[in-house]
Amino acid sequence: MQSEIIEKIRSGGQAELAWIYEEYRQEFLHWIGKEYRCSSDDSKDIYQLTILIFHDNIKQGKLEHLVSSVKTYLFGIGKNIALENMRKEKRYTPINQEKWLKEYLIDDTSQGTDESFFDMAKTALEKLGQPCQKLVEMFYYEKKTITEIATAMQYKNPETAKNQKCKCMARLRKIFDTEMTKPQNVVPHGYH
Amino acid sequence: MDTTENDILLLEKFFDEEMNATEREQLMQRVKDDEPFKALFEREKLLITAIRHEGLKNNLGYLQSLEAAMAREPIATTSRRWYYLAAAAITGALVAVAVLLSRPSDPEQLFQSYFTPYPNVFDPTVRGEQTTPLHSEAFQDYEQGHYSKAADELGALYKEHPDPGVLMLLGNANLMVGRVEEAKQNFITLNDKFDSLDLQAKWYLSLCYLKTGDVEQAKKILKELGESDISYASKARELLEKVK
Repeated sequence: MQSEIIEKIRSGGQAELAWIYEEYRQEFLHWIGKEYRCSSDDSKDIYQLTILIFHDNIKQGKLEHLVSSVKTYLFGIGKNIALENMRKEKRYTPINQEKWLKEYLIDDTSQGTDESFFDMAKTALEKLGQPCQKLVEMFYYEKKTITEIATAMQYKNPETAKNQKCKCMARLRKIFDTEMTKPQNVVPHGYH
Repeated sequence: MDTTENDILLLEKFFDEEMNATEREQLMQRVKDDEPFKALFEREKLLITAIRHEGLKNNLGYLQSLEAAMAREPIATTSRRWYYLAAAAITGALVAVAVLLSRPSDPEQLFQSYFTPYPNVFDPTVRGEQTTPLHSEAFQDYEQGHYSKAADELGALYKEHPDPGVLMLLGNANLMVGRVEEAKQNFITLNDKFDSLDLQAKWYLSLCYLKTGDVEQAKKILKELGESDISYASKARELLEKVK
């Protein structure tokens, strides 16, 4: 049962994300509200982050098997988010979800990354535009295969999609390097 | 093909998970020993992190739309897949219509539309704290909607135990039975004297001002909440737009 859920999310898209969101929503919101004195809005903020982390762990291949139930796993993530937020803010404060996700990723993947570099990378990504942005997101975030991307984005074949992905990444690097050399962004760093 | 280009191809192979264990190990060793290569590695990792953040942000927006749609109407047990796919689109359309139709409204009407009593999430019996009969009665009456009785009991309880949760419910109970001036004082005290629930108190204080027709004071607080990063921000911005 647990492995079926994991597989469903791993191979699925937003419909599966919505399905898992609805599946545990009521129970989770009731529990977190009582346990951590969160209002209905605050509980929903925590639940959304919880589902995103669960979904991301599966997509990134960090979660392949569960020893406990999905519910226990989700409640564990939710508890950590609520406690971490209280510890950081020294009291219960509504969560800034986007900022929280940014810190989660920086802590998770980039040791010692300065937030300003991350912001420059985000600016570069915005400047990259479509369809490149969608393509690299499907590949690196949604973890779709090149064949799946070729079908979804209507490329002639997987090779064309792969070439396009490489070109998009090359453009992204170039835009990022240009951002780094702008006078207001020049700081000592290790990226050159 | 120059060295950097070769290195980038190597890094793409690594991040695209096309390397075997030995190749990965060799690459990580080079990251340790070779500073320019390490810089290329870090840049690639940073860019992929930014891509993942964008993906998470998009899915967060999707869940927020879904939540808003769920709050509006219960989900039918059939055709769920269709519902999920349509949720974001419907929400977008509803928001657009709401924005188009929004006109300056009567403050009292706005109060009625936006005021929902804060839930009783403070019941100490759930958290294993010591309770008295007054505690149980006050929380029970609040939950059952006996707000007048709950307001008296919560007032007495707050005098005995000045707790922010009790004060939050007291303010809400007072507001429910029309004791707006008392509610206002409750939320001002909550905001000034306590570190928790102060932001929530500001939201309810702005509603108190709307109820008494003090639109300027309400706008001031809503503007402050709207500029913050908290979960009430979007609601505050929406209400401020309607008050103007």
